[in-house]
Amino acid sequence: MHKFNLTRRDFLKTTGASLFLAGMPISGYTKDKPPGTISVILLEGGMDGLTAVPPFGDPDLVRMRKIITPENYLKLNSFFGLHPSFKALAGLFANNQASVVHATSIPYLKRSHFEGQNWMEGGGLSPFSEKSGWLGRSLELANIPGRALSLDMPLILRGHNENDNFFPSSIRNSSKLKTKLIDAISMAHAKESADVYSKVSNKSKSGITNIPRDPSSLAKYAGKVMSQDDGPLASVIRIKQFDTHARQGADIGKHADRLSIIDDVIGGYREGLGDAWDRSIILTMTEFGRTVAVNGTTGTEHGYGTAGILAGGVISKSRVISQWPGLAKSDQFERRDLMSTIDYWSVCAACIEKALGLDHDLIASRVFLKPKLPRVFDYIFS
Amino acid sequence: MDEKFRVSQKLGLMFKTDDDIPKNIKSWAISQLHEKSPVLGIKSVSRVGSTTTPSKVMPWPESLQPDLEERARRWRIQRAFMELSRKEKKSNSEIQRNNQENLFGRTDELKFSHRNVYGNDQVRIRFMSFWTNHFTMGNIHDNQNVIGHAMDEAILANLNNHFSEMLYKVTTHPAMLIYLDNIWSAGENSKKAKDCRNKVDCQAGLNDNLGRELLELHTVSPSANYTEDDIRNSAKVLAGWGTMLEETLKDMRKQGKTTDHWNFFKKYYAEPGNKTVMGKTISSGKGGLRQLTDFLANHEHTIKHISTKLCRHFISDSPKNSDINQIANTWRQSKGDLDKIHSKVIELAILSKEAKFQWPMTWIFQVIRLSGATYIHGWDQIYNWYDDAIMGNNEIFEELGQSFWVSRQPNGYSSKKEEWLSGEMFERRVRFASAIFRGGDTKHSTEKIMDRIGASNSTRNLVNSVGSSKENRFIALMCSPELMGLESA
Repeated sequence: MHKFNLTRRDFLKTTGASLFLAGMPISGYTKDKPPGTISVILLEGGMDGLTAVPPFGDPDLVRMRKIITPENYLKLNSFFGLHPSFKALAGLFANNQASVVHATSIPYLKRSHFEGQNWMEGGGLSPFSEKSGWLGRSLELANIPGRALSLDMPLILRGHNENDNFFPSSIRNSSKLKTKLIDAISMAHAKESADVYSKVSNKSKSGITNIPRDPSSLAKYAGKVMSQDDGPLASVIRIKQFDTHARQGADIGKHADRLSIIDDVIGGYREGLGDAWDRSIILTMTEFGRTVAVNGTTGTEHGYGTAGILAGGVISKSRVISQWPGLAKSDQFERRDLMSTIDYWSVCAACIEKALGLDHDLIASRVFLKPKLPRVFDYIFS
Repeated sequence: MDEKFRVSQKLGLMFKTDDDIPKNIKSWAISQLHEKSPVLGIKSVSRVGSTTTPSKVMPWPESLQPDLEERARRWRIQRAFMELSRKEKKSNSEIQRNNQENLFGRTDELKFSHRNVYGNDQVRIRFMSFWTNHFTMGNIHDNQNVIGHAMDEAILANLNNHFSEMLYKVTTHPAMLIYLDNIWSAGENSKKAKDCRNKVDCQAGLNDNLGRELLELHTVSPSANYTEDDIRNSAKVLAGWGTMLEETLKDMRKQGKTTDHWNFFKKYYAEPGNKTVMGKTISSGKGGLRQLTDFLANHEHTIKHISTKLCRHFISDSPKNSDINQIANTWRQSKGDLDKIHSKVIELAILSKEAKFQWPMTWIFQVIRLSGATYIHGWDQIYNWYDDAIMGNNEIFEELGQSFWVSRQPNGYSSKKEEWLSGEMFERRVRFASAIFRGGDTKHSTEKIMDRIGASNSTRNLVNSVGSSKENRFIALMCSPELMGLESA
């Protein structure tokens, strides 16, 4: 069996995270400006919460997944540890600026990437039920005009008609965008895509130049523009390939590489945001966790419960928020997965409440369409 | 737009500047399904000043289209080199040379572009791309060496066959077995797993990745309400299938009594006993997989799932139920005869006057063909092309944000415009139109293209509104709603 170590540079080249920025106030917009910013790191493929934040206090952990559990974890408390890939995050933990929610998930039980990913962005009552996304609806609810930056239009930000997106392009020998030309084409597209073209037109005026495409630089760039007075209030970074069915690794390896990208992104945000860090919250989310047991190819299969990572200056005390369900077979969901005991929509709702200053009940009914969604705000931000 | 160009936009890649326009567009489109065009391309492009000259269009050289054994052999050399390079430092030029000699992704990707730009089988190529997207195979573990082979030999070679045959050939192709992790999967009661049980550092067991996607993406879809047990049993049927390309012929003979990378079943890894998938009993052994894929290929949920996908790709973003039902009926009556199914798609796509948004890659090939631009370098230039005006073929795909040779999610690219319509994607089309005009030495002027395709009044108005700059007029035409597939007939 081959072990294949990519150099750091090759690795970043093939990694390609994408960035989306949204909720950019109109110039001079100050009326009822929300108190903070919110950034979501979407982890596609299913992050293994038991590897990212190993519950070493549970005796079943090592018994069931020794070969994929890191040995050199950082102790967060007497029960939970942090994977050694998280270097920037470890520093934030030490400064009471990061937390973990564990044994949590969006309430998706069927283990399909595509349904799960659609639901984690849509945030409605079931996969594919919504044509807009939960962050887009939140921005709309907060009355924030805005735009998004990336190559494809992510569902999570849809529903917000001012959204645009951006991903640095470098098409050799193409002319500089000409506003008049773009306006003419935009008018011709009046029926369905004039909005989109008008964003290109805005960009032709704004003079945005090349930005490196690696995840850390994208996060740094996002943080920097979010820190500006008229900057966007929301951003989304998408990281792919957490789906480690084979040769997952432990301290190092495939899953560890993914975790270090999360760490790079969080570090990038920290650097880019500067003073705006103090009003920022960043949260990860993934479509599902992975099986407790290791499969036959030293990887893990699609599961249920996982962990969510939170970071930002609005956190005042670092902690691991969890109602630990246990890892024994009888404690597992369908005798194979970590049980989820905290609905991750509640965690998202708490972050929206903090960043956009919206009322929980309003968020619950209008964004997540679940009027009875439990409020977990105090567990995270008190 | 003229009806014949409208059809070739929806179902093909647009008529090239020197193409004869067929008299009967429907019979032409259907006959295209059997068009036996060799892979055409160019050896090189030369650029002097603003003159861009391609060499003569010729069939691709055999030496650049190796068979599976040769691809596997080069893969082994590549892997051995990588292994060695971890022990002793290799210079960049050595690494580069090794990649160039032994990896096939860039060659195959160029061949794909040439096929699209120079091929006389445009409708066939579009169906090939549809199925290549349906059966997504990404580049992991240097899988790039065999993806192009799967495209040619599992997909294109079965385009006139039954779906069940294509499904079986793709499922057993090393490109799929590697991409979805099946090559290491062992049944829990296999000899391999039993031998492993008492050993330290020996892992063997089931991996359900391909078993799951075979049901979810390639055939019945979640609408069939299968269970986790069905998924696991599907994975058990698959356990034992596939080899790392590293196996030499001798090793393969020992393990699987075969020397064919495409037909490699390791009994040692197989799960003994019958399995039940969605109520169907599948027998043990190598023949079990064929029973499973044949069962799935004509399952009612597969028929509905894929009929809908075909409609969405070729007819309309929001297909009518009556169109889906007609394709599904053709599928049922013909037991999945792809010729009949594709012909039905063609017939309905022509009847429908609805606009159909085109993928970025389809659009760029259509722009190149309509204008007669030279924008893709030759096969002699795969590793030595640098030009200020024309990007390398691999860079073009990177900027388009769409390629069959990158690592991506197994559900493939969406056919729906809402997944692609964004400021960024629009900006890229504007920029590509600009770059093709400036560097591609186009053969037909914007005016001539508009006359030839019978551009609509709204397109002509748009082009006239941007002034007299030839570049602006070209960009306006190519990014008009009509040329992007956003204007109904």
